[in-house]
Order: sequence, then structure tokens, then C-alpha cells
Amino acid sequence: RMEASCLELALEGERLCKAGDCRAGVSFFEAAVQVGTEDLKTLSAIYSQLGNAYFYLHEYAKALEYHHHDLTLARTIGDLLGEAKASGNLGNTLKVLGNFEEAIVCCQRHLDISRELNDKVGEARALYNLGNVYHSKGKSVACAGTHEPGELPDDVKNALEKAANYYEENLTIVTELGDRAAQGRAFGNLGNTHYLLGNFRSAVVAHEQRLLIAKEFGDTSAERRAYSNLGNAYIFLGEFETASEYYKRTLQLARQLKDRAVEAQACYSLGNTYTLLQDYEKAIDYHLKHLVIAQELNDKIGEGRACWSLGNAYTALGNHDQAMHFAERHLEISREVGDRSGELTARLNLSDLQMVLGLSYSTNNSMMSENHVADNSLNGARPRAGRRHSMENMELMKLTPEKVQNWN
Amino acid sequence: QPLAARQAAELQSKVVPSKQILHSDNMEMEPETMETKSVTDYFSKLHMGSLVYSCTSKRKNK
Repeated sequence: RMEASCLELALEGERLCKAGDCRAGVSFFEAAVQVGTEDLKTLSAIYSQLGNAYFYLHEYAKALEYHHHDLTLARTIGDLLGEAKASGNLGNTLKVLGNFEEAIVCCQRHLDISRELNDKVGEARALYNLGNVYHSKGKSVACAGTHEPGELPDDVKNALEKAANYYEENLTIVTELGDRAAQGRAFGNLGNTHYLLGNFRSAVVAHEQRLLIAKEFGDTSAERRAYSNLGNAYIFLGEFETASEYYKRTLQLARQLKDRAVEAQACYSLGNTYTLLQDYEKAIDYHLKHLVIAQELNDKIGEGRACWSLGNAYTALGNHDQAMHFAERHLEISREVGDRSGELTARLNLSDLQMVLGLSYSTNNSMMSENHVADNSLNGARPRAGRRHSMENMELMKLTPEKVQNWN
Repeated sequence: QPLAARQAAELQSKVVPSKQILHSDNMEMEPETMETKSVTDYFSKLHMGSLVYSCTSKRKNK
């Protein structure tokens, strides 16, 4: 009677997770564990599914706990295939938690057992997971630095090259197996690895394959991802027109999928691309669209970026009043979110603009500089006060490293 | 004012963008693949024998 009850609860948990309700599924699985069972294979399956449910719910500490239970259990009962699966899941979880070295050990175990059992499907999946761990490892170090893709320290390069090799190995097997969906995933991540390595042509080739497969499956999300990644690669190939076409396709699909966050990202990318094309009117148009969505989603960091970009674009057009407005807003937001480098950039932009405005006009309604206002009220000589202030800023500019002018 | 014009031009040249601006974290990765186990699988394997037995024994009884 107890046995049936544990099983019933677990079956309901499975049904709920399959239906996409992981939260409710978790409750049933945990109830099943509470009731308990003497059938250790059933218990192993429950632990595994609990781990995966928590993984999809982004509760990785819990996911780790249950995949660990599953691994211990699988080893205890000598279930080799079960051990391989638990190792793979544990590896994926450790990767997300940033524990790359242990993740590699687990994924390697998944690979070794799969080869031992001559399980080609398992082998391919383990290779894909290993590729993902090395990609994340490389990216985590690469993103901590300030270099552009292609300019990488040796350890980053090694990790990314390993990732590329694992994806290639995976592709050989899944191509033999005729598994198109798996090929699609491998091409996508291989493309991103080439992108980080600075092999932009190879990245394009891989993402084109990914696009083709996404279309075969009518997988709109994957299609959108491919367009976005193609856009990124074409930017670094210096082919901005082509990049803009791909970003426009991304935007179309983001709207079709009703994903506002992705729509905002596409607008931001388009704004930047038109900036590179020096079509500042279009850049402003897209950055404004991005700004509206960022505000709607209460994404302060996105809003700050939009204001910074808009400030630059208006400056390029010589519309210094609008530039000033957005630079001030950028400063406010940088302070609000505690972004120190953003704050410094905004201050520099503001002082630059103030210098130009101070020299061009005899009025200044900016709220930026208290010094400036104080100077005015004291001697009333706007242009001269402005000029003096500007010269100080000139000195500041000379002392400022180039990097501060760039996006960070 | 030539100085203002010059400084405005300098300011404008500063906004000539770097490709770095796009290298924010917007690379789109493919999803992870998790290995799956199912209670149903084990359940069916476990109970198939006894189920088959009970069906055949019922038939024999008839």
C-alpha cells in the first residue's frame, strides 16, 4: 500500500513536470520521497527528476543536492547507465554554479561510461556537455577582462579550443546518428565558441547551419537566436549592413514571440549597428525603442545603457541639448544602480557637453554643475566662467585614460 | 565661435563608436540537455513480469 502511494505520487510529479509545471511536480516528488520506497531504482528516478526540476527552476543548490543523491544511489546499486546519467546532470549543474573543474570530472565520467557501454547517444550528449563546460569556463574568464573577442589570454583560448573540439566530436556522432536537433544545438554553440575565439567566418558558417536546422524544425526561438548570433559575427567582420539585416530579422521574430526583453536587446543591437553605420537618426530611433521597453521592464541597467547611447548619438548629430538631457539621466541611473564606471563616463560626457554648450550659448539650464551655477551667480559672466570651467575639463580629459571613453 | 565649433567637432569625433559597444553579454547559447530517468520506465520493467503472469493465469483459469 505504501509502495503504491510513493509510486502514485512520483507518477503525478512526472506528469506535472512533463506538462511544464515543475513547481507543482517538485511537491509531489518530495512527498514521494517522504513516503519512501524500498525500490532503489524508483528512488533514483525520483531524485534525478527532482534534480532536473530544480535545475529548470534555477534552484541550483537544490539541483546539486538531488543529483548527488542520485549518483550515490546509482553507484550503490551498481546501475552503470544510471551513474552515467547522474554524472552528466551533476556536471551540468556544477557548470552553472561555476565549479568548472568538478564539472569536467563529472562530464568526463558520463563520457567514459557511455563509451564503455557502447552507448553512442550517451557519448554524444556527454561530448556536448563537455563542450558547454569548457565554453563556460573560457567565457567566465574572458568576460572578466576587457578585451574584444579574438584577443584572449592563453588559458581562455585553451578552454575555448577544447570546447570547439568537443562540439566537433559531438557533431561527427550526431551526424552519423542523423539527429538533426542535436546537430542544431552543437552548431549554435560551436558558432558562439568561434565568435569568442575571434574566428568570425567560422562562426558565420556554424550559425548558418544552425539557422537551416531551426527552419527545418519550425523552431522560431532557435531561428531568432541564430539571426542574433549572425548579426554579432557580421559586426566583427565589419559588415554592418548585413548585421543590421540579421538584427531586423531578430526583432521581427522577437515581436512574433512576444518576448519584450529580447525585443529590447534587438533594438539595442540595431541602435549600435546604425551608430557604426553613422546613421544617427535611425540609431536614435532604435535606442528610444530600447529605452521604452527597458523602462517598461524596470531594467535600470538597460535604461542606463540606452541613455548613454542616446547621449552619444545626439552628440554626433550636434544636438547638444538632447545629448545633455540623456547624459544627465545616465548619471542619475549610474548613481542609482551603483555603477561607478558608468558614473565616471557620464560625468566626463557631461563636462564635455557643458564645455561645448558653455562656449556656444550664453544660457545654460543644465542642472549638472553646482560649481558652474555658483560661478554664474557670483560674477554673472557666463561665457568667461564657462570657458574657465572648460579649460579645467580639458586638463581632466588629458588625464583620463582612453578606455573611459569606451563602453564598458 | 571657431573654438566652440572645433570643440563640438572634437566631441563628435569622440562618439565614433567602437565595435566593443556591441560586445555586451548578448551571445545566445543553445539549451542544456539533461539526462532523464523515469519512474514509469522502471515501474513497467518491474511489474511487466507479474502483470503478464496474472493475465496468462486468468486466461488459464477460464
